[in-house]
Amino acid sequence: MKNFYIMILAVAVIGGGVLYFAIRGGTPALEPVELGELENAELVELAQPAYVFGDPDAPMTIMEFADYQCNACMRFAVMVKPEMDAAYISTGRAKLVFHDFPLVNLHPHAFLAARAARCAGDQDRYPGYHDLIFGTQNEWSPMPGATDYFKDLAEQLALDTGTFNDCLDSDRHAEVVTANMMLGQAFRVDATPTLFVHPGTPPVFRLGGARFLDIQEALESGGPEN
Amino acid sequence: MSGSEGPSALEWLEPRGKPAAVAVAAGPPRNRMAVAILSLVGAFLAFYLLAANMGWTPPLPCGTGDCATVQSSEYARVGPVPVSGIGLAGYVALLALALAGLQDRLSRSRLIPFLLFGGALFGVLFSGYLTYLEAAVIKAWCRYCVASAIVITIVFAATLPELKRIRGGGGGP
Repeated sequence: MKNFYIMILAVAVIGGGVLYFAIRGGTPALEPVELGELENAELVELAQPAYVFGDPDAPMTIMEFADYQCNACMRFAVMVKPEMDAAYISTGRAKLVFHDFPLVNLHPHAFLAARAARCAGDQDRYPGYHDLIFGTQNEWSPMPGATDYFKDLAEQLALDTGTFNDCLDSDRHAEVVTANMMLGQAFRVDATPTLFVHPGTPPVFRLGGARFLDIQEALESGGPEN
Repeated sequence: MSGSEGPSALEWLEPRGKPAAVAVAAGPPRNRMAVAILSLVGAFLAFYLLAANMGWTPPLPCGTGDCATVQSSEYARVGPVPVSGIGLAGYVALLALALAGLQDRLSRSRLIPFLLFGGALFGVLFSGYLTYLEAAVIKAWCRYCVASAIVITIVFAATLPELKRIRGGGGGP
């Protein structure tokens, strides 16, 4: 029996250590990347971001590639973005440039959701629709079709539903969402959310599945002038 | 209901079969030691998956691997309860039962073999259903879920001697 208790204690200690490292110590190091100049000027022109949160002239930039049907993007929007808003965006220190990157092979409603949010953006309600669509992801994600649900969300936001529905039922914004996906691919984005954090001075850092502390570390690496 | 043939409620907890001296000489049931150790391993796996599901770890980005696909699927929860939480509760229960079944006072209880075998059977069936979902519905494999499925299958195999104890044969060490 003594050997058994030694063995179970050893499993407990090793397992606990591995678990602690996985949960607390597993944050990947900041990865500097060279984005360079994209050669395809037409793509850059076409791939307009869905929205710029904060002051467009803010010195620091966080570029996000996100998928509305991705659980990690939802958690980022609900849990990390409010902290980022309070510390950097509402204070004018940084802007969040939001790009669509629907993982169409994994998420059947992601492309439609990206278009729906842009349709809300046509009526100057992009941020509200962005929050609502992420906040209700668990409800619409398992549905076989989400078009009616997205129309209901527009109604909840008191949008002009006729205009919104016409937009959603057409292929409006499909081209710009596709261009966003191509821009992401040009930046070697293969997962969501992917963030490129530009602290004002080089280098740019690439973060995947980031926590607020990781973003803060990347932003503050730019020097005291930020 | 006569109740004259089966054991009474109290008898389920009473030692039965061979005299205690024989049981002590034969040593504690080794299969329960295996169940305890494996259940602890399974509990760590389930806790990691629970932590990932609850947002206690950095989120697994979508598209980086199949674990994120499985974790973000609608099948990762039963109502509001994460599946990994159910797994954790199951492993902890099996661990507690196995440890209790190693104590002299309870080693020949009839309730513990019943709960151990029943719990492991439920676990392996539930895990089999989740593995089916990964293979046929979600079409993605999460390595931690597969590891947990392997662990619970071995745990189930280790509880097979409990069948003998349920029938009253003692089961051996």
